[in-house]
Amino acid sequence: MVELEPKVLEEVPVTSYSDHPTLPMRTGTWKYLQPRYEDRLPPCSDACPAGNDISKILALLSSGDLEGAVQWLRAGNPFPATLSRVCAHFCEQSCNRDSLGGALAIHLLERFMGDQSPQDFSRMQSATGHKVGVVGAGPAGITSAYLLARAGHEVHVFDDKPQAGGFLRTGIPGFRLPKDILDKEIALVESAGVRFHQNTRVGRDIDFEELKSRFDAVIVAVGFHASRPLNVPGSRQTHVYHGIDLLERLAAGEKLCIPGTVAVLGGGNTAIDVARSLLRIGSTPVIVYRRTEAEMPAISSEIEEAKAEGVAFHFLAAPSKIVQEGGRIVALECHKMRLGEPDASGRRAPVPLPGSEFCLPVSGVVAAIGETADLGFLPENLRKHLDLTTRASLDGDFSGVFVAGDVATNSGTVAAAVGSGRQVAAMVDRYLRDAQPPIENPALPSLWPRALKHDQVADAQSLNPAYFVPRAHYQVHGASQQTGVEWALGEARRCLGCGTCNSCLNCYHWCPDVAIQVDSAGSALGIDLEHCKGCGICVEECPRGAMSMVEVG
Amino acid sequence: MRTVLKGNGAVAQAVRMARTQVICAYPITPQTSIVEELAEMVSSGQLNSRFIKVESEHSSMAGCIGAASTGARTFTATSSQGLALMHEVLHWAAGARLPIVMVNVNRGLGPGWSLWADQSDSVAQRDTGWMQIYCQSCQEVFDTVIQAFEVSQRVLLPSMVMLDGFFLSHTCEDMDLPEPGLIDGFLHPLCLPHKIDIAKPAALGSMVAPDRYMEFRKKIDLAHQQALDVWRKVDSQWSALTGRSYGLLDEYRMQDAELVLVATSTPASTARVVVDGLRERGIPAGLLRLRVFRPFPAAALRNALGNRKKVVVLDRSCSYGHHGAFHQEIKSALYELRPAAQPELRGVIAGLGGRDITAEDLEEMLLRAWRNELSEAVTWWNTLPEAVLR
Repeated sequence: MVELEPKVLEEVPVTSYSDHPTLPMRTGTWKYLQPRYEDRLPPCSDACPAGNDISKILALLSSGDLEGAVQWLRAGNPFPATLSRVCAHFCEQSCNRDSLGGALAIHLLERFMGDQSPQDFSRMQSATGHKVGVVGAGPAGITSAYLLARAGHEVHVFDDKPQAGGFLRTGIPGFRLPKDILDKEIALVESAGVRFHQNTRVGRDIDFEELKSRFDAVIVAVGFHASRPLNVPGSRQTHVYHGIDLLERLAAGEKLCIPGTVAVLGGGNTAIDVARSLLRIGSTPVIVYRRTEAEMPAISSEIEEAKAEGVAFHFLAAPSKIVQEGGRIVALECHKMRLGEPDASGRRAPVPLPGSEFCLPVSGVVAAIGETADLGFLPENLRKHLDLTTRASLDGDFSGVFVAGDVATNSGTVAAAVGSGRQVAAMVDRYLRDAQPPIENPALPSLWPRALKHDQVADAQSLNPAYFVPRAHYQVHGASQQTGVEWALGEARRCLGCGTCNSCLNCYHWCPDVAIQVDSAGSALGIDLEHCKGCGICVEECPRGAMSMVEVG
Repeated sequence: MRTVLKGNGAVAQAVRMARTQVICAYPITPQTSIVEELAEMVSSGQLNSRFIKVESEHSSMAGCIGAASTGARTFTATSSQGLALMHEVLHWAAGARLPIVMVNVNRGLGPGWSLWADQSDSVAQRDTGWMQIYCQSCQEVFDTVIQAFEVSQRVLLPSMVMLDGFFLSHTCEDMDLPEPGLIDGFLHPLCLPHKIDIAKPAALGSMVAPDRYMEFRKKIDLAHQQALDVWRKVDSQWSALTGRSYGLLDEYRMQDAELVLVATSTPASTARVVVDGLRERGIPAGLLRLRVFRPFPAAALRNALGNRKKVVVLDRSCSYGHHGAFHQEIKSALYELRPAAQPELRGVIAGLGGRDITAEDLEEMLLRAWRNELSEAVTWWNTLPEAVLR
């Protein structure tokens, strides 16, 4: 209100104003909706089977806190250096930057951070006195062991192989994952307190029941190490290699020689790795797959690499007979296939074409048609109750037994194994600390809708140089221009921070009621609900979707 | 400096030379090239100004209000539907007494969709408290934008400067562009007495109870009355510097005229040729161009039109159901004259939606009035005849 009491028109101000504060006008009573700050799962983390907290890690990195970023990365994942080399980087496939100068090169950043040596690796919490036994030193078992050790539990890992690493060591060829990288990460896990017991097969060297009695919790993470048998005529009479066995023998340094053309049966990563490994020992591999390239479960970039290296492909063909002469394989008889209706996997099922048999002259056959778990060491009643669909702990006699990795998820990727180990570690920790019944299906954060205000991103058009350099820079070893600190900080700064408030203050600038509270440092935001009218402009203007409207009360 | 510019180009040059500090505008045909040229000037550094991009004309005027409240020299331009969309905030700009200058390129409103010259858009904003000036040449557009900045900041009212879509906005003309120093010497620095001052926090546009509201409104009306005089002064100061003045009303061969055409904007320039032709034929014709429509120069109009025999008012818009706006207002102004001094007054509505108003049209209008052949108070010029006679 105008304060002075004018007597003549000239004393009336030129226009209305008030020098009283507007605070007494509690416009907050108008609203039926109110804004709130709500960090949401960004699409990269949502897509990451390992559950990496990507936007927070990149926020730390882009602020220049390299050590903090590495610490936070390793706080949830013992294998960043490994995963950055072997993962299909699902994160990049869903990055909101995709249409804005290209997806962030998250895997290169992960490699950069993973290859740094973390400085302080002591336990995060004091010892709890609880003991955990882990069966299997693969990515799932090691991940859960590592996280539980860092949480203060005493963790022992039992594994039948001479060295820890599981499939990472035996199933992934060195040209994809140099073993010194793996050794370094496993050494870090040991430095976190995990004790490995190698050459110790549960069910042979130590009884499962004994494990159960010695430990407060037991995690079964043995992975899929048994090859599915190939059931075609001739496969019993001659030597057919199995994919993971072949890879393991090669990884162990065995000098194998399979001259001539070798048929590799299957369309998964094992088949690709086998074919590429065969190339390296002088064979001529041809991948025989009953569907088409589009249905192959293998990582598409690996398929591309295999093609580039000279691996041949024979699609829509299924083996029907192994032909031999004088005890030696001379050919593979196949049926031609066509794609029929989709099957349970959602992919179109291959259907044989009658009378379409043909022969591929080959001198060797490798079956890489899938793997399964060997759970023979488990007591029969546990195996029977090991319902692979619930994938959590069991009650009653088997209280305290957990299942992690491929046995639980059947997913077949390293990232999913790490993610599973991470989930199970959280469940075990809760079980040990609170004696709470473990959560069967830990609640997953809601899906993040791709609804960013891209136009508000200042450097929306900046291009990602990593996508314009020759393929050679992606080599798993050695430095490239994409691994320097300068490059990493610049690339991390391209992160939009989807779903995470970074105190950009757009809400503050747009609020018509000055109802956004900012501290003296320009952050720590809050909402003055006494004056917020609930107009929703702040939510609308948040460039990263870290605010939402909820009903009052 | 002699140069050749289009009407829109003249606007942009005037805005640049006035050292406008904030431009907040949204493009619309046929105004677009004004905004484009200004944006270019700002981005190339020729004009040190903040150019605020917005998503609508409502926001562009809202942005201008914000900028002008800080005491910045502020400009926008629009046309037609864009001006209509601004309507709500036009009242605010005037009520907040902000010296914003806006150019409106006159264009018809839909439906049917029209891009062409028509004064319905600006006439519909008559009562918002803005001053309105209608221009007939590119030179006048340039001069008027400069004058409008000065008048607006003296009387604390916003100005709307009009030019006809395409007929002027897109027509090139040889004109004089003054040296920058001349404009700097002419325009006073803008000192808004009620500008936002962070040292004295206040809520602007706060609620006003019935016991005080009318006083604020009366002050707007008084400012308009004072503005008539300020326009005269500023125009004569401009004349002293440049030799060009336009007045509130622009008279041509009016001294002994008995038959007068009242027109605005570009048809008024065509009308000069018509008047000359009629004079050659012995008909005492004259032209009165209404340049400043708000503030309304009622007394000057009475002075100019009293005791003439016949007056024809040309409107390029219609207040549906009752005359064109210029006709209405001139009629009401002449009511103050004693009956014997009142001319016979006729209205013609012509040229809507860009239909050309030719010299032949204007000559025929005047001749028909002279011969008492304009029987109706208002004639819709050259439209299809009605099938049923009323």
